[in-house]
Amino acid sequence: MNKNVTFDLETKTVTFSLDGRTVTASPDETIWQVAKREGTTIPHLCHKDATGYRPDGNCRACMVEIDGDRVLAASCVRKPTEGMVVKSESERATKARAMVMEMLVADQPKRAEAHDRSSRFWDMADAQGVSDSRFPRRAPDHVPLLDDSHVAMRVNLDACIHCNLCVRACREVQVNDVIGMAERGFDAEIVFDFNDPMGASTCVACGECVQACPTGALMEATVLDDAQHGDSEDIDREVASVCPFCGVGCQVSFKIKDEKIKFVDGLDGPANENRLCVKGRFGFDYIHHPHRLTKPLIRRDDAPSKGLNVDPANPWTHFREAEWDEAIKVAADGLLDLRSFWGGRAVAGFGSAKCSNEEAYLFQKLIRQAFKHNNVDHCTRLCHASSVAALMENVGSAAVTATFNEIENAELAIVIGANPTENHPVAATYFKQFAKRGGELIVMDPRGQGLKRHATHMLQFRPGTDVAMLNAIMNVIVEEKLYDRQYIEGFTEGFFEFRDHIRAFPPERMAELCGIDAETLRTVARKFAGARTAMIFWGMGISQHIHGTDNSRCLISLALLCGHIGRPGTGLHPLRGQNNVQGASDAGLIPMFLPDYQSVKDPEVRGLFGHIWKGTEIEAAPGLTVVEIVDAMYRGEIRGMYVMGENPAMSDPDVEHARRALAKLEHLVVQDVFLTETANYADVILPASAWPEKTGTVTNTNRQVQMGRKAVEPPGEAREDWRITVDIANALGLDWDYDSPREVFSEMKMSMRSLHHITWERLEKEGAVTYPTLGPDDPGQAVVFGDGFPRRAGRAKFTPARVTPPAEVPDKEFPFILMTGRQLEHWHTGSMTRRSVVLDWAEPEANASLHPATLRKLGVEPGGMLRIETRRGAIEIMARADRAVAEEMVFVPFAYVEAAANVLTNPQLDPYGKIPEFKFSACRVSAAEPAEVTAAE
Amino acid sequence: MNIQNNSGGVWKSGKGKGRRTPKGRQYEDAALAEIRALLGDRPRRRDLLIEFLHLVQDAHGHLSAAHLRALAEEMRMAQAEVYEVATFYAHFDVVKEGETPPPALTIRVCDSLSCELAGAQALLAALKDGHDPAEVRVLRAPCMGRCDAAPVLEIGHHHIDFATPELVGKAIAAEHFHPEMPDYEALDAYRAAGGYGELEALRGGSATPDEVQEKVLSSGLRGLGGAGFPSGKKWSFVRAEAGPRYLAVNGDEGEPGTFKDRYYLERAPHLFLEGMLIAAWAVEAERCYIYIRDEYPAVLKILADEIAALEAAGIVEPGYVELRRGAGAYICGEESAMIESIEGKRGLPRHRPPFVAQIGLFDRPTLVHNVETLHWVARVCREGPEILSSVEKNGRVGLRSYSVSGRVKEPGVHLLPAGSTILDIIEAAGGMLDGHVFKAYQPGGPSAGILPARMDDIPMDFDTLQPHGTFIGSAAVVILSDRDRARDAALNMLRFFEDESCGQCTPCRVGCSKAVTLMEAEKWDAELLTDLCDVMVDASICGLGQAAPNPIRMVIKHFPEEV
Repeated sequence: MNKNVTFDLETKTVTFSLDGRTVTASPDETIWQVAKREGTTIPHLCHKDATGYRPDGNCRACMVEIDGDRVLAASCVRKPTEGMVVKSESERATKARAMVMEMLVADQPKRAEAHDRSSRFWDMADAQGVSDSRFPRRAPDHVPLLDDSHVAMRVNLDACIHCNLCVRACREVQVNDVIGMAERGFDAEIVFDFNDPMGASTCVACGECVQACPTGALMEATVLDDAQHGDSEDIDREVASVCPFCGVGCQVSFKIKDEKIKFVDGLDGPANENRLCVKGRFGFDYIHHPHRLTKPLIRRDDAPSKGLNVDPANPWTHFREAEWDEAIKVAADGLLDLRSFWGGRAVAGFGSAKCSNEEAYLFQKLIRQAFKHNNVDHCTRLCHASSVAALMENVGSAAVTATFNEIENAELAIVIGANPTENHPVAATYFKQFAKRGGELIVMDPRGQGLKRHATHMLQFRPGTDVAMLNAIMNVIVEEKLYDRQYIEGFTEGFFEFRDHIRAFPPERMAELCGIDAETLRTVARKFAGARTAMIFWGMGISQHIHGTDNSRCLISLALLCGHIGRPGTGLHPLRGQNNVQGASDAGLIPMFLPDYQSVKDPEVRGLFGHIWKGTEIEAAPGLTVVEIVDAMYRGEIRGMYVMGENPAMSDPDVEHARRALAKLEHLVVQDVFLTETANYADVILPASAWPEKTGTVTNTNRQVQMGRKAVEPPGEAREDWRITVDIANALGLDWDYDSPREVFSEMKMSMRSLHHITWERLEKEGAVTYPTLGPDDPGQAVVFGDGFPRRAGRAKFTPARVTPPAEVPDKEFPFILMTGRQLEHWHTGSMTRRSVVLDWAEPEANASLHPATLRKLGVEPGGMLRIETRRGAIEIMARADRAVAEEMVFVPFAYVEAAANVLTNPQLDPYGKIPEFKFSACRVSAAEPAEVTAAE
Repeated sequence: MNIQNNSGGVWKSGKGKGRRTPKGRQYEDAALAEIRALLGDRPRRRDLLIEFLHLVQDAHGHLSAAHLRALAEEMRMAQAEVYEVATFYAHFDVVKEGETPPPALTIRVCDSLSCELAGAQALLAALKDGHDPAEVRVLRAPCMGRCDAAPVLEIGHHHIDFATPELVGKAIAAEHFHPEMPDYEALDAYRAAGGYGELEALRGGSATPDEVQEKVLSSGLRGLGGAGFPSGKKWSFVRAEAGPRYLAVNGDEGEPGTFKDRYYLERAPHLFLEGMLIAAWAVEAERCYIYIRDEYPAVLKILADEIAALEAAGIVEPGYVELRRGAGAYICGEESAMIESIEGKRGLPRHRPPFVAQIGLFDRPTLVHNVETLHWVARVCREGPEILSSVEKNGRVGLRSYSVSGRVKEPGVHLLPAGSTILDIIEAAGGMLDGHVFKAYQPGGPSAGILPARMDDIPMDFDTLQPHGTFIGSAAVVILSDRDRARDAALNMLRFFEDESCGQCTPCRVGCSKAVTLMEAEKWDAELLTDLCDVMVDASICGLGQAAPNPIRMVIKHFPEEV
C-alpha cells in the first residue's frame, strides 16, 4: 500500500481525491485551481482567475462537497489537505451552486436588457441552466440607479452581485483605494469614496474595476448604448500590442469594431500583469480624432510668415494638400539643397522615443548616412540624459539594473524625484502593493506626491538640494561603517577617495540645506544600509537639473556602498518616461553613440557600421544635443530639420526661443500624426501612423523588448513612419530597400549585442523578451550585474558629487520656485491626450498647483487666474489649490499650449548630460489682472 | 516678455472647466484641527479606527463628511476605507454635505422577540407619535440584553426597563441620558475575599500551564458563547502555535434573548478579569483585547475603571488589557468578525480554515473566549473543577446560566444544572404568566429556532438538542404561549438576521432578505423556502447564515398549521 503514502516531504505536494480521481496539488493551490488544471472549471463569479487577484470566496458559486465537512466549501479559497475527498459534482454541491445563481438572477436586469449580454455572470448562469428565478424581485425603490458622472465608465449597480472584485481591483491590485463596500447586509453597496458619484470621486479611471466586473455593473461607456445595454463580445477582432504612452510598457488588447478601437483590456505582460492606467485604457480615441493628418501638406507660397499661427482644424490658410510623391520630393529636395549649398551640417534631425525601435534605428541611420554627422537626438535629452551619463560613467551601462517588478523581492525601496502614481501609474501599483505588504517605502520629493500616503518615510526636501541630502545619508553610512565592505572590495573602485570626500557632508550640516532633520537622515541611512535587499527608483526630479548627473552619481554610490545591486530585490532603476526612450537610445538615436551605446569616437565601431551600412563614412565627432541643435538653429548654423514625432515647439526649455529658432529654419520637414505646434513651422508635413496603426518593437523601462502589432489601418493616406523615413532616404539618394520592420530588426541585430537571442519570430510568439537573454528559452535577465559590471575589471565606480546650487535661485524679484512636470492624464505636449475625450474631460484646462495658503496670500481663489513670470516669459493660468505643493513652490504641467510651462523654464544645461533644468526656475506669481484677460480673449 | 496671444496655433483652451483642486473631496483645515484635538496623542493606528469614530460620534452626535475626510487624512487611510467602516456599524451616523444631522436625542426601542412579545411595536409607535422627529429620533433596534425587563429602550445611553412613554417623558424631563451604574464588586472587595490570589500564585509558579489546562479540561468547561468547544482543548491549540499570541474576549453578547454576560459583568467583573488573566498567563498572550458591545455602556465603564484599578495595583502592565467598544453589529459576536472589528475593520467573518487559534488577531494565534467562560475559568481555578464536574442531572454534567425571558413570571438569569429540561427552566423562572399556556420555546437564541412545547423532556445542554435540528447556543431561552404565533416569532427572527447579516456572502445576504419577503406571505411557499434554507445552511460563510434558516425549518416542521 505504498501508494497511500502520498505526502511527499520534499516537494510538499498534497494528494487528494477529486470527483473520484486521485490528484496532486502543490501546497499553495486551491481546490478550484486543481480542478481547472484537471479540466473542470467550477462555476465562479467572485473569483477572477488572473494574476494579482486573491480569491475571496464570497459569492458561493463555486461550492464543493468535502467528506467529513458539515457544510460545503468554497473551492476558490479552500486548499486541499492530504487524503481529502472532494466532490465538485455531487447533487448537494450542484444544487447549492445553482441556487446561488438563482438568488442572484432574481435581482439582475433581464438578460435582454443586460449591460453586458456576454458577461461572465450570464455565462455561468448558462452553464448551470439557470435562466430565471423563483424568488421575488427586490422592491423597485431598492434598485440602484445609473451613475453616469464619469465620462469613461458607467456604473449600473442594479447588476451588482456584491462579489467585491471591483474593490479588490481598486484596493489590492491597483491600490488606488477609491472603491469600498459600504453599509451592510442587503443594503451593502459599492461606493466611491464617501458614496460620491464616480466622476466626482478620487477615481483615477484606471478601469481595473471595469475589467474585473463579472456582470457589466461597471462598464466602459463606449460599450453601452443610451439605454445602458451592451455586449462586451460585440467586436470584430482583438489585437495584442503594447501601450504607447509611457515607459512601463503595458501589454494591451485592442478590441476592434468597425475599424475603430471600441475598448481596451490589459494583457498579462511581464511589466503590467493585465493592469492599465487611464491613458492605456481610455486614451486611444485620439487616433480617430478629426484633426488627424490624412494627406501630405506643403506650405503654401502665400502662407503668412512662420509662427504659432496654424489652426489644426483648418490648416488651409497655411498649407495645401499634396500627393505623396510630390511631398517626399519637396521634403527631400529642400534638405538636399541645403546640404549641397551649406554642407551636411546645415541639416539635423530629431527622432522620437514614441516610435518603434526600427524607426529610431532608421532615423539615426538616415541622418548619419545622408548628412555625414551625428547631429541627431531625441527627447531622451530632456528626460534622463544625466541619468544615462552617470550610469555609463559609473556602471558602464545606461539601462536599469533590475526591473521595477523586482520590488516584489525588496525589503526597502527609495523613490526619489519620481511621481509614479501619475507618470508611471502601473509601476506605481507595484510600489503601493509593496508598501501594503509591509515593505519599507522611502519617498524623497519636494512635493507631497501620491506615494506619500503609502510611505513609511516621506522626506519632503527643499528643491534642488538632492546632493546635499544624499551625501548626508552616505556620510552616515560611511561614518558609522554601515557599508558592505566585501562588496566594495569585490566590485567597485574609487571608494577611498569617495570616503574622504563624503566626510564633509555630516547630516547636521546638510539638514539646514535640504530641510530634512539630521535624525531622519540617519534613520533612513541606517535602514537602507541595514536592509537585506533595497532598490532605488528615480525620475526626472533627479535628472532635470544642472546637477542632474551629480544627483544620479549619488544614487549610484548609495547603492554601491551597500551592495544593493545585482541581487533579486536590489538595483538601480531610473523610470524611463517615453514608451520607447530605452529602445530609441539603444538604437542609437543619440548624438554620441551608435546603436548599443557604441561610441562614435571608436574607430572600430565606426568600421563595423561602415561595413553594415555599405561603406558609409561615419563622423568621429559626437553630434549636438537637442538644446544645442535648437541654439544652432537660432544662430543660423542649422538651416534645415527633419523632425519625426517630436514637438520641440512645446517641449524645449525657454520655448519661445525654440519657436523663434524653428521659425528661422529655411526648410522644416515634420512627420507626425497631428499638426503639432512644431508642425506650425513646417514646410512639409508628412502624415504618419499612430502606434496602434503599425507594427514594430519597443523597449520599456525594464529592458523588455515587446512586439507592437497593427490593430487598425492609418486614416486616409497616412503611412507608417518607417516607410516614410525609407522614402525620404531614397529621395536623398541612399538606396534603401527595406520592405518591413522585420528586415530592419535583422539589420539591428548585426550590431547590437543586447538583441542576442532575441529574434523577430520569438517576439511574435512570446510578445516580450527581456535583454540580456542567455538563450532562446530564457525570458531574459530581470536583474543584471550580479557578477560584475561592464567596466574595466568588472568594477563600478564611486564618483563624488559636489553641492551645486540651481542655475537660478529665488530672489526678491522672483521669489517662487517653479517646477514643471506631467499629470496623469496628459502625455507630454498633449498632442495626443488632449484629443482624447476621456483624458481631456479629466484635465481640460491648463493649471498651476499652489498651496492653498499661498493662494490666500496672493488673494486668488482656487479656479482663479494667475500670472506666472520668469526671466524668460510669462503665462496666465488657472490656479489649483493643492497641499502637496510647498508654500514657496509652483507646479506647472507642460502639456498645455495655451499656457505653455516651457515659456518659463530655464535652458541652462547639466554639463555632462546636457539636460536642461526643468525642475527649478525662479518665478513670481500674481493674480492675473482682469484687463489683460479680456485683452487676451 | 509678452503673454501668448490666442493665435490659431493655440488650438485648445478649456478655460473655466478645470478642477480647482486635486481629484475628489479635499479636507478642511478646521475639521482636521478638530480631529487632531479629539484624537490627542493617541497613536494613529489603523486598528483604533472604530474607537476614533466613537470619539467623533460622541463629541458631535454624528460623523460629518468633513470630519471623516479629515480623519482619513490624519490616519493616512483612503476615504473609502473609513467610510465603509463608518457605515457598517449601526451606531454611527454618517452625515454628508447637505444632509441634516440627526437630532441630539436618539431613542432606540428594542424589537427583538422578548420585547416584541411585551409590546415593543406599540411602544415604538407611541414614541414616534409623541415626539417631534426634529428633536427626538426614534429607531428600532436589536436586542439590548435586558430581555428580563422587556420592553426595553435606550435613550441616549440610558436604558429604561419595562419602558413606557411616560418613563421616557420623565427621563427627558430629568435629562437622564447616561447609563445607570449597577452596584458591583470592585477590586478592593474582590481582593479582600482572596481575589487574584490564584493568579498571583500561578504567576509565582504554583502550577504549570499544563496543570491548569488539565484542571479546566477536567471541569468539563465548554465555550459558553454558544459553540461549546472544550475550553482546555482550545488552550492547547493556541499554545501549539508559535508566539506572539493574543487573547481576545468576546463580550459582544448579541444573540437576542441572551444577557448572562452582562449579568456577571455588572456584578462580579473581577471574576471574569482574573479568569482572563489566568488564561492569558496559560497561553502566554502578549496582550488581551476585551470587545464589549456598545449596548452595554455600564459594563464598558465598569471595565474601564477596573482595568485602570488593576494597572494601578500592579496586577497588569499598563496597556496589557485593551478595552474595545463595539458599535452596533450582531455579527461581531462571531469570533472572526470580532477580530476584524478589533482590527478596526468591518465585521466580516473570515473563512475557516485557518482557525483563529492559528491565524487570528493581527494574523497571530489568538485565544478567543466568551465572557462567562472566563468567569468559570476563575471559579474552577479558585474553587476546583468540582464546582462544575460534580453537578449532574439527566445524565448531563455541569451548570448552565440560562437567560430566561418571555411569558414567565420571573425572567432572569437562572443558574441551573446543565441537564435541566425546558419545564425545569420554566419552573425556576416562576412558572408561566397567569393566563398563558406554554406553547413553544426558543432554546438558544433565534439561531436555534423554535421548538414546540411537547418536546419538553430534552436536557437543555450542548449536544442534546442537535438531533432535533437545533442547539443550546448561548442558552437564551424565550418562552412563548398560546397567545403567540410561531410564524410571527420566526419572522421576527429573520428580520433580525436580515438587519444583521454582514452582506458578505450571497446565501445570507440575499437569502435573509428573500426569506423575509416570502415569510410575509399569508401562505408560505414551503418548497422554495426549503430550497432557500438548504443553500443558506450549506453555503453561507459563517454561523449566522448557516443558522438563520432554523426558525423557518422548525416552523414548517412543528407548526405547519400556521403557514
